[in-house]
Amino acid sequence: MNFITEIREGFGISWAAIRANKLRSILTTLGIVIGIVTVTLMGTAIEGLNQSFMSSISSLGADVFFVSRDAWFNNNEGEWRKTQRRRPLKIAEANKLIGQLELSSAVAPVAQSGARVEFERRNSGRVQVLGTTEQYAITSGIGISEGHFFSAEEAAGGRPVCIIGMQVSSNLFGGGSALGQRIKISSKTFEVVGVLEKQGSFMGIFSMDNQAVIPIEQFITTIWNNPDIAIHVKARQLTELEDSREELRHTMRKIRRLQPSDADDFAINQQEQFVQMFNRVAGTIAAVGFFITGLSLFVGGIGIMNIMFVSVAERTREIGIRKAIGAKRRTILLQFLTEAGCICLLGGLIALAIAWPLTLVMQKFLPATMSLTVASVALLVSLVIGVVSGFLPAWRAARMNPVDALRSE
Amino acid sequence: MKQKHEITLLTEARESLFMALNAVAAHKLRSALTLLGVLIGVFSIIVVMTSMRVLKTNVETEMSQLGANTFKVQKWPELQFEGPMGWEKYRRRLNFTLAHGKLVIEKATLATSVGIEEDFWGGQMETRFEKSAPGVRILGETPGSFPAKNWTIADGRALTDNDVDNARDVCVLADGLARTLFPFGSPVGDKLKMDGINYQVIGVLTAKGATMGGSQDNFVIIPISTGLNRFGSWKRSLSILVQARDKASYEDCVEQVRGILRVARKVPPGAEDDFELFSNDSLIAQFEKFTRAVRIGVAVISSIALLAAGIGIMNIMLVSVTERTREIGIRRAIGAKKRNIMTQFLVEAVVLCEVGGIIGVVLGILGGNAIAFYFKVPPAIPFDWIALGLALCSLVGIIFGTYPAYKAANLDPIESLRYE
Repeated sequence: MNFITEIREGFGISWAAIRANKLRSILTTLGIVIGIVTVTLMGTAIEGLNQSFMSSISSLGADVFFVSRDAWFNNNEGEWRKTQRRRPLKIAEANKLIGQLELSSAVAPVAQSGARVEFERRNSGRVQVLGTTEQYAITSGIGISEGHFFSAEEAAGGRPVCIIGMQVSSNLFGGGSALGQRIKISSKTFEVVGVLEKQGSFMGIFSMDNQAVIPIEQFITTIWNNPDIAIHVKARQLTELEDSREELRHTMRKIRRLQPSDADDFAINQQEQFVQMFNRVAGTIAAVGFFITGLSLFVGGIGIMNIMFVSVAERTREIGIRKAIGAKRRTILLQFLTEAGCICLLGGLIALAIAWPLTLVMQKFLPATMSLTVASVALLVSLVIGVVSGFLPAWRAARMNPVDALRSE
Repeated sequence: MKQKHEITLLTEARESLFMALNAVAAHKLRSALTLLGVLIGVFSIIVVMTSMRVLKTNVETEMSQLGANTFKVQKWPELQFEGPMGWEKYRRRLNFTLAHGKLVIEKATLATSVGIEEDFWGGQMETRFEKSAPGVRILGETPGSFPAKNWTIADGRALTDNDVDNARDVCVLADGLARTLFPFGSPVGDKLKMDGINYQVIGVLTAKGATMGGSQDNFVIIPISTGLNRFGSWKRSLSILVQARDKASYEDCVEQVRGILRVARKVPPGAEDDFELFSNDSLIAQFEKFTRAVRIGVAVISSIALLAAGIGIMNIMLVSVTERTREIGIRRAIGAKKRNIMTQFLVEAVVLCEVGGIIGVVLGILGGNAIAFYFKVPPAIPFDWIALGLALCSLVGIIFGTYPAYKAANLDPIESLRYE
């Protein structure tokens, strides 16, 4: 008897056994179904959280460095206080960088602050106003839906022009076109030359469309005359990110005239740091979530093991007969493993069928989709649970002495 | 007759219990596995609830900054859940000035003490012995703040009205800070340098129960007027601390202060208050409200395992009934009623559940308090959840044991005697 026949026979026998005890099989499957449903939903929710973060973070750009006085994340308060004593970055430093960096494609000084934006009698509260140069269009990668980004000449000359975000546009102009209109930012008149593409919100917390971009010269005269700026630097190629970073660091040190023994008095931030920070938090949530939901899966596994033991005990005679007429240990082992595996796999399939509509409900809160990965992992896990928890009972059945087994009542 | 009935009930209960224990002991492996299911289900609930209780105690200790019957009034809410855009509403509010505080001191007749507070700056302190780490908080206070914040003086004296009126360069140290800055003897009368200026130390506070790692014990108190002169009063909004005489007059006191401030800040009748008013309790209640959804979600998820365990029990009880069909037949034949059989199997299910439940509770409390150990906070034992967990166990046993027990009770005695 070859292996294939053995498996086919195993399937046949286990199917008959499952059907022979319908209620028992249903209950056992139900135990597994509950476990798989909760774990699948947890997996989908966590994946949804990740996706919503990744789509929020992608606006930062993987190949952009954000040079600023302070790091985005500090380990403790003392470190933060130390960074607060550093010299602010200056626009002149950004201008020097432009001439000296060879591995970068764009350098944009960026100053930002909240300001009030008005048009005729309508106004928009605290809009994030960015003062920058035309290079910002390259470093941020933001698309323009209408009009154009201001030119190098407009930026250098400090013309009173601005580009507004989608939300500002709809707040001030309703459905009408904003192009060519004159709006007031911090009580000074600016001409709208462009409208940014819609960017959505950051993790659903705050909108990224509530902003306006003006030339940095204008920012200094109208909003904040000594701003604490950040310098956005886009690397030329993603492949030489590390080289670009080192070049940037050394150029900054040179520009700020640091002695070789001095520590950096600026920080180079990257999207990567945000991702790491998020991963730490999301990792904890995932660990706790999977632990709790995994427990119910474990309980389901125990249920299977228990019922398989009963099943083996009940079918002792059958096992004895099979052995007496020549079945090997392996055959018996395989038979019971197949039975446990079948129940679990069936449970997994049913669980997926139940979890699917539930994820559709979840989509209202998170961009959660039940990915093929989650589904296949769920099936794999259920199969593994079946095999693992079925192993001990199957082993016991396989090791039976055929003589004793035949004699058993 | 009634007495006899009671005796039979008692005997029946005892008999059922013995039979259940025997049945559990007869199939050790099977019982152990079933038990394990319930054990894990209960463990999951108790471990989650214990750790949530521990975290809650942690948060409450951090939030309890005020004394009894005390509330705080300020421009900003203490807890903010609305994201960056929510700030706009609060930012536009009128700042609290010293004049507002003095008005409350003057007019609030129902308050025993009124303090004015501002968190000025954090920096490094220096004495002739030691330098502190940077980040020591400097609090500007008035004499009324001491009872309101539950501060007592261990050494020297507290601030007086004179100190505040004359904006003296004096300070009171928190216990932890006093120990680091003046390692030898009493600091009272000595000098302390902060931000380049010398202050005379006039007192030291008694230590607060420093369970939280000492962050509560690392600050300097100076007269608020001194602070405002030195660090600037422009764009600053102070907080006002009010302590009511007792619990009974607390509500009245809150209303009085609210009225005084609404008039002073020219809030039109019917309009919302343009300030936030909170106490320890209201702060904790607010926190509870915001985290309620999460807590309920976690509780539900953690009890799913118990459901799976219940199904396992039902399954194994069905097997058990089938196996013992003959036994049931014999019991019925010699006079057992349906009710007796039903009780027998129900008790068996409940006993299984309870044994698993008790072990689960013990393990759950140990596991949950591992977190308490990690955060260095006092351990918590959630007695209500222990009771609830054990009750849930019995409930699971009854719910999932009923069908098998019912099936057993309704077996035909003749058929079951014949059963092989």
